Amino acid sequence: MRWASNSSRAAYSGRTRTHVDGHDMEPTWFDKRPVGEVRPGDHAWLAYGTPEERDRVIGAFVADALRTEEKVVYVTDAPPERLPGLTGPRTRLDLCTYTASGQLRVIPRSRACLDGGGRFDPQRMLETLNTEVERAFDEGFRAVRLTTDHSWLMREPGRPDLHRVLGCEHQVGDAVSPSTMAMAICQVDRRLCPPDQLAALRDTHEVLVEVNPEFDDGILRITRTFEPHGLRIEGELDAARHSVFAQQLSLVAHGRRRVHLDFSRLGFIDLGTLNLLAEHATGLDERDALVLDNLPPDVENVIEMVGWHRLPGLARGRSGAADGPFPGPEGVA
Amino acid sequence: MALRRHGLEHRAFLYSGVENFLSTTVPFLIKGLEADDAVVAVVRRPNLDALRDVLGSDGDVGFYDSAEFYDHPVRTLKRYLELVDSMRPRRVVALAEPVWHWTDQRQTLEWARYESLINEVFADSGARALCPYDRNGLSSAVLDFARHTHPVLFDGRIDHENDRYMDPQVFGAGCDVGRRFEVRPDTAEYMAFHDEDLHPLRVFVGKHAEAHGLDRQQAQNLVTAANEVAANALQHGVPPMGVWVWRDGDELVCEVGDNGFWQPSPLIGFIPPESARERGFGLWTVRLLVDLMELRAGWDGTFVRLHVSR
Repeated sequence: MRWASNSSRAAYSGRTRTHVDGHDMEPTWFDKRPVGEVRPGDHAWLAYGTPEERDRVIGAFVADALRTEEKVVYVTDAPPERLPGLTGPRTRLDLCTYTASGQLRVIPRSRACLDGGGRFDPQRMLETLNTEVERAFDEGFRAVRLTTDHSWLMREPGRPDLHRVLGCEHQVGDAVSPSTMAMAICQVDRRLCPPDQLAALRDTHEVLVEVNPEFDDGILRITRTFEPHGLRIEGELDAARHSVFAQQLSLVAHGRRRVHLDFSRLGFIDLGTLNLLAEHATGLDERDALVLDNLPPDVENVIEMVGWHRLPGLARGRSGAADGPFPGPEGVA
Repeated sequence: MALRRHGLEHRAFLYSGVENFLSTTVPFLIKGLEADDAVVAVVRRPNLDALRDVLGSDGDVGFYDSAEFYDHPVRTLKRYLELVDSMRPRRVVALAEPVWHWTDQRQTLEWARYESLINEVFADSGARALCPYDRNGLSSAVLDFARHTHPVLFDGRIDHENDRYMDPQVFGAGCDVGRRFEVRPDTAEYMAFHDEDLHPLRVFVGKHAEAHGLDRQQAQNLVTAANEVAANALQHGVPPMGVWVWRDGDELVCEVGDNGFWQPSPLIGFIPPESARERGFGLWTVRLLVDLMELRAGWDGTFVRLHVSR
């Protein structure tokens, strides 16, 4: 089989991610990447906590492909028009056109990965993926994006032995990783999966995928978080970026009660931002406080120095700065 | 008492020798204890030991060594405010003897300003403060400051309304006018800034702070302070704008200048704001973050000088 593209367009060359402080990310076992930066060879993992999170990631994964002449293979029993994240106002795609042209392949589980008895058949899944990648190659697509949601495996009464699923994932990983053409996202609803199994499944992937940042100018990156509901703020927050931050904060706070700001990778906060946060939190009662999670020592020092009582409406959340390039639990409870 | 102003009693007492010191301060503290006030004595050694001998260390008086308490005028004022707030609804009775051993005249001036600000910050606190000044050991300049910053002078027997007392606004303005800015050395390194993005300025200041040997927290504090002053210049100042950094012995000096003419009210940035939403919060925090912040506005522009010692 061929997992290499015959397209001459090098759509993914040179797209190495540098961190906001300008240094290359430390190589770690996992690479965490916004969905927009998933590339051929990535066998990626998405343990979503809410349908919105899944829709935002998978919707972008599929839509990006369809807009750039890449093929999508989606193993699901859902009809194309009900694929996650593709029906909202954000993406106005005529999915029928894509299914008709073959650029979007939606394959029901019975044909992709179930045996005659309706049970999960890892071997069949692998064969399906091989066939689809090969076909995409022959059709001249420059890349093919594979995805499926494994949550049903966690839910089925006679659910398969975890080791069979892990074995399947390892083989998918072995097939995708060296590929210059195929990339895959395996999804699971983390609420349906016991923590140890979730961790075991996650460990069969090299890439953790998350939503695209709302904003990223190389100095400041703002990313939506879903559990808890809020924003992750990375890099440096200063006057030049107050308006974009205020805008994102008001968007995420709209209609919600408690908003968390994950500051674990915040390197600098200016005093104007403290003013801005205090303005935002004005009038919030204690239960709805704006929660600052994972304050790095430098940021905490400034807040401690002025005194928390000068920031009414703000609350100190959980502590612990970043322990790697992906703060917070990912697939592990 | 007729001489109390705005619910604050702030008196200076010029004493000669330990006995004279004790003859006034002990009854003052005992009266506070009898009234069930929160009583603190922030006093220089050896007066501190003498007071402890008389009143006992394990009593209800909170003793503090002035040498530790009076470390930084803006931080000390904040700490006092927290102390008074934490005691509510009890009234605070404080014996407060600042240290005046500074070799740098700028520091002496800032502590004089501190004494003056007490009148403003605690105006409605109901607190009673008695500030002993060593008539024999302190310079005439410091004793003059005492007379300018305390509405009432106590002579050991009775109170005198002090006609040399100056309103904190007036006194503060005088401090700024009397300030002498040393000329920037030729070795000062300069970086201009033009637009809102102050990331390069932070890198510039941070690099010099590290090279000077400031610890991480000091360096970060200086970067935060310089960033705030520069942001303020961008918002209100006039180009050209830039930052200079140079060494002065153990001190690292960082100066932000623009071509505007900024003369904030003499109290702005000195009075601890109630919240981050208040005007003056940024300037006050800058003063909190560095050892000393000086402001000069003149024909050639506005210059804010930040000092941090390693």
